[in-house]
Amino acid sequence: MQILRCVALAAALALLPGAAFSQGKAAPKDAKLYFITPHDGQKVRGGFWIRFGLRNMGVTHAGDEYQNAGHHHLLIDVNDPIDPKEPILQDKSHLHFGAGQTETLLELPPGTHTLQLVLGDAKHYPFEPPIVSEKITIRVRQPVTAK
Amino acid sequence: MGEIRNFRSGNNGDPPSHSVGPRRLAAIIVGDIASYSRLMQADEEGTHVRVKRIERDLIQPSIVEHHGSLVKTTGDGFIAIFDSPVEAVRCSIVIQQNLIGRNASLPKDTRIEYRIGVNLGDVIVEPDDVYGDGVNIATRIEGIAEPGQVFISGAIYEQIKHKVVCGYESLGDRKVKNITDPVRVYKVLPDADAVGRTRGRRENALIFLLGITLSVMAAGVLWYLLAQAPGRVGEQATGPTASPAASPAALPSPQPPPREAASQTPQPSPSAASSSPSPAPAPSQSAVQSATAVREPEMVAIRGGSFAMGSNDDPTERPVHQVTVKPFSIGKYPVTVQEWNECAAAKACGFTAVGKDDAPVSNVSWTDAQQYAAYLAQATKKAYRLPSEAEWEYAARGGTQTKYWWGDKLQPGMAGCKDCGDLAAEQPAKVGSFRSNPFGLHDMGGGVDQWVEDCWHKTYQGAPADGSAWSSGDCGAHVLRSGSWKNDSRYVRPSNRDGYDTNVRYPTHGFRVALSP
Repeated sequence: MQILRCVALAAALALLPGAAFSQGKAAPKDAKLYFITPHDGQKVRGGFWIRFGLRNMGVTHAGDEYQNAGHHHLLIDVNDPIDPKEPILQDKSHLHFGAGQTETLLELPPGTHTLQLVLGDAKHYPFEPPIVSEKITIRVRQPVTAK
Repeated sequence: MGEIRNFRSGNNGDPPSHSVGPRRLAAIIVGDIASYSRLMQADEEGTHVRVKRIERDLIQPSIVEHHGSLVKTTGDGFIAIFDSPVEAVRCSIVIQQNLIGRNASLPKDTRIEYRIGVNLGDVIVEPDDVYGDGVNIATRIEGIAEPGQVFISGAIYEQIKHKVVCGYESLGDRKVKNITDPVRVYKVLPDADAVGRTRGRRENALIFLLGITLSVMAAGVLWYLLAQAPGRVGEQATGPTASPAASPAALPSPQPPPREAASQTPQPSPSAASSSPSPAPAPSQSAVQSATAVREPEMVAIRGGSFAMGSNDDPTERPVHQVTVKPFSIGKYPVTVQEWNECAAAKACGFTAVGKDDAPVSNVSWTDAQQYAAYLAQATKKAYRLPSEAEWEYAARGGTQTKYWWGDKLQPGMAGCKDCGDLAAEQPAKVGSFRSNPFGLHDMGGGVDQWVEDCWHKTYQGAPADGSAWSSGDCGAHVLRSGSWKNDSRYVRPSNRDGYDTNVRYPTHGFRVALSP
């Protein structure tokens, strides 16, 4: 059964010896990660929705070992390159969407910000090659009425 | 199985029922346990407890996560409705996949396997039930599903076929009991590649492969434990395996538990917070630990008090507000691998952690942490729980109002974080490697992130002032405190807070327990 196959796969992964796991699950070559909204250069005000687009792969929960599926991570103003050998960081500039979310409402301070999506596997590692979106720049305007 | 279950569950105190609830289109999931009567006959209480646990830990959270609502649970099943067919099917797959993991270590005849049917239909929704043809069809589809499978109706299939990356096997039009028109039924294959393969052969081959894999794993673990010199083990302490199938052979660790002696000394002096008016009842464990005694985390009694919670350093920490905390006890260290693995050995925690005994357990979700607290409370008959966010910050500040508990300037050797000084940037090999704060607590900042009881809110607007946990609102995410060895020094501040998905594990996330007096 396909389900048993998943278990076998999970067991096989767990079998890989401790520290030396070869992470980086292979991703389909035609997989594409992109922003549905906002677009590069867009100006926004206040809280705004970000919608994540993914083609030729599926979105699933973190922890689920389905083939060709992963979960979204949103990188805000991150300049460091992604380390393919480490789990995607978790902090205020690396937001995780491990419950399979495909959108989020974001509030950022006024100014220019960059946004980038990275797809992570069940254990939050980037795929091989990394599935990342274009890095877009948005401009958050001053709120109309100061509080 | 196969009973129509849309009768009204007897609920007294209802208003007279001529006021019919609103009609709406909904994706309906009906799930039900295969061979429930046999399981109940074999072990009535055990089965009941396990079913309730599955409902609480898996089914309910999965439904909430996918924006559905649980209409009701029956003895052996449940009904849930969703606005979105995609979410309904995803939720069903998640439930089935998780059950595989739970069942993997059990003998076949004690496995709890659900059949799940999903249909899209116009239904009448009432607070405690849902009615309509659509529900009956979902029930019928569930009735013909194989245990462990998700079957969906044609209506659902049309909605999701291009959206959920799965294989679908058409089972053709099925005539179902008491429904006039035949219903088109599809079987969901979570792995898209599986379409059209023959099952029988694969099944056998895979069981065989799985058997081999598991035995190799068990052998590997045994070898690892026996052959490694105790001092070297810490080097490989990364990445606790989350697989529930992790071999039980890993449990009887032959290594001398280094912290055992410490945790057995009857009631460590509560240090700086001393003269506490409410000392936690001394554990008074017998010096000789019997095989059944539970290893309790070392606790420190904290005197209650009032403090200014929050800061202006980050929007999430505003507004600064006064909170009064009642007396409580909190773990001197984060929960360790050794402590966690007792829970895993008792099958009350979801996985066996790998790593040195006195390393903090990591890669735990909030739900995992709750399971440990529940296990500890049950085994000790004491009110163990996660600390509230206010309790955590109060304890972390240790009576100070400075940026860090030791002052306003970063100092090396005080906490484990990326830029906190030498050696601090590594995954903690041992709890308590850094200085304790004025309350005698270690690792309150840096080391591992720590779950607390509260649901995540982006600011303190509306937060309780009595030190209790803030449990209302969207609880799909809960609060993390402390920051980890991977974060920079901003995250080590006692007021720092972040939210993370409730059911998701991440390698830097751990927790510590609290105890009400």
